[in-house]
Amino acid sequence: MRDDDILIGSLMEDSWLTLEQVAAACSVDAAWLMRHIEEGLFPHAESVAGTWRFSGTSLLRARRMRQLERDFDAVPELAALMADLLEEMDALRERVRRSGLG
Amino acid sequence: MQFKDYYQTLGVARDATADAIKKAFRKLARKYHPDVSKESDAELRMREVNEAYAVLSDPEKRAAYDQLGRGQQPGQEFRPPPDWDAGFEFSGRGYSPQETADYSDFFAELFGRMGGAHPGARDGHAGFRIQGEDHHAKVLLDIEDALNGGTRQISLRVPQVDDQGRVHLATRTLNVKIPKGVRAGQVIRLAGQGAPGTGGAPAGDLLLEVQFKPHARYRAEGRDLHLTLPVAPWEAALGAIVPLDLPHGGVKVRIPEGAQSGQSLRVRGHGLPGEPPGDLLLDIRVVLPPASTPKARELYETMARELAFDPRKQERG
Repeated sequence: MRDDDILIGSLMEDSWLTLEQVAAACSVDAAWLMRHIEEGLFPHAESVAGTWRFSGTSLLRARRMRQLERDFDAVPELAALMADLLEEMDALRERVRRSGLG
Repeated sequence: MQFKDYYQTLGVARDATADAIKKAFRKLARKYHPDVSKESDAELRMREVNEAYAVLSDPEKRAAYDQLGRGQQPGQEFRPPPDWDAGFEFSGRGYSPQETADYSDFFAELFGRMGGAHPGARDGHAGFRIQGEDHHAKVLLDIEDALNGGTRQISLRVPQVDDQGRVHLATRTLNVKIPKGVRAGQVIRLAGQGAPGTGGAPAGDLLLEVQFKPHARYRAEGRDLHLTLPVAPWEAALGAIVPLDLPHGGVKVRIPEGAQSGQSLRVRGHGLPGEPPGDLLLDIRVVLPPASTPKARELYETMARELAFDPRKQERG
C-alpha cells in the first residue's frame, strides 16, 4: 500500500454535524429536516448563534423517521414518537449488554 | 442474472391493486423492521421487500416490469432485451441512490437509470453546477484500532455509472486512516469521496459512522474502557500489584486491600486516547482456586475452622 493510497479523514465531533450534512447523509431535504425541528420533533438538534447543529444520533433518527413516514405514511409526530421509543430501546439494550445479560 | 418475482416477494397476485400492494408491503415492513424483528435474516428480507415495493408501488416501473416479466419464472436465468425500457419514463421518486445501491443486480440492471443520467447527484439537469451527494456508511472497527490508530481497509458497495449512463454496483475498497481515540458513534468524514458533482461541481463527502465489534475482553463506553479483572482471593483480601497487558501497552494496577467482586477500579488516563484521555475501569471478579488437591482442601478447611466468617450475615440483618 502506497502512502498516497491512504485516505485521511477528519473526525466530526458530534456537535459538528450541520443541517446540510445530516440532510445529505440521510437523503432528506433540508426543508424536511427544518420543518421537523420547528415542530419540536428533533430534540437532538440545537441552535447555536443561529446555526443548527446535531448530535451523532441525529443521523440514525433522521433515517428512521424518514423511513417510517415513507413506508407507513406515518404522520411526523407518530414517526417521532416511534423514534423516541426506538432510542429508548437502544439505550436499554445497551444496558442489558453491559450487564452481561444480553 | 436471475429473474426476481417481486409479486412473490410481497405475496400478492399479479393483478393486485395499488392498495393491496401497499398493505402487503406494510405488513412485511413491520415483520422485518430491523429494530424489532426477531427473524435472523430480517435485514436481508427487508431489503428484498423494499426493492419489490420500489418497483410495484411505482406505476411506471410496475408497467415496465410487467411487460418484461411475462413468461418469466423466479430464479430463471434472465437477460433483459436491448432497449426493453424504451417508451417508459422513470421519474425515480421515493428511494435515494444510496438505498437502491443495496438492491439486487437485477434491479440495478433494469432501473439503474432512474432519475436521469446522473444518479447520485442531487439533480440530473445538465448545465447546473451541483455538488455531489454525501454518502454514508457504517464501519465496524476493532477497539484496538481506536487505541492505536492505524490504517484499515474498508469495503463499500457503491453504484457506479458507465458511459451509457447505466448504474452498476461495484465494490469500492478504501484505505482509511483511523484517528486514534475515535469513539463509537463518531463520524469520520472523507472529503470528496461521496458522489461526483454535476457540471464540474465538487464531489460530496463520505461519512463513516464508527461502531466497534464486540471484543472478548474490552468494552468501550465513550472514552472509558471497561475490562473484567480476575483476581485471586488473597490478592483481593491483602491487596496486590498486578500486571495487566493492554493493546496500547502494559500497566501495573494496585488492587486495594479488602477488594470485593463487583467493585470497580478506575485507572485514570488509560482508556481511549484523547483530550482528555478516557479512564480504564476494571471490574473486579474474585476467582476461587479449586479445592482439587489435598493441600488446597486443607487450606480451605483451615479457613473454615479458624475464620469466623459468615457471608450471609448481612442478608439476615
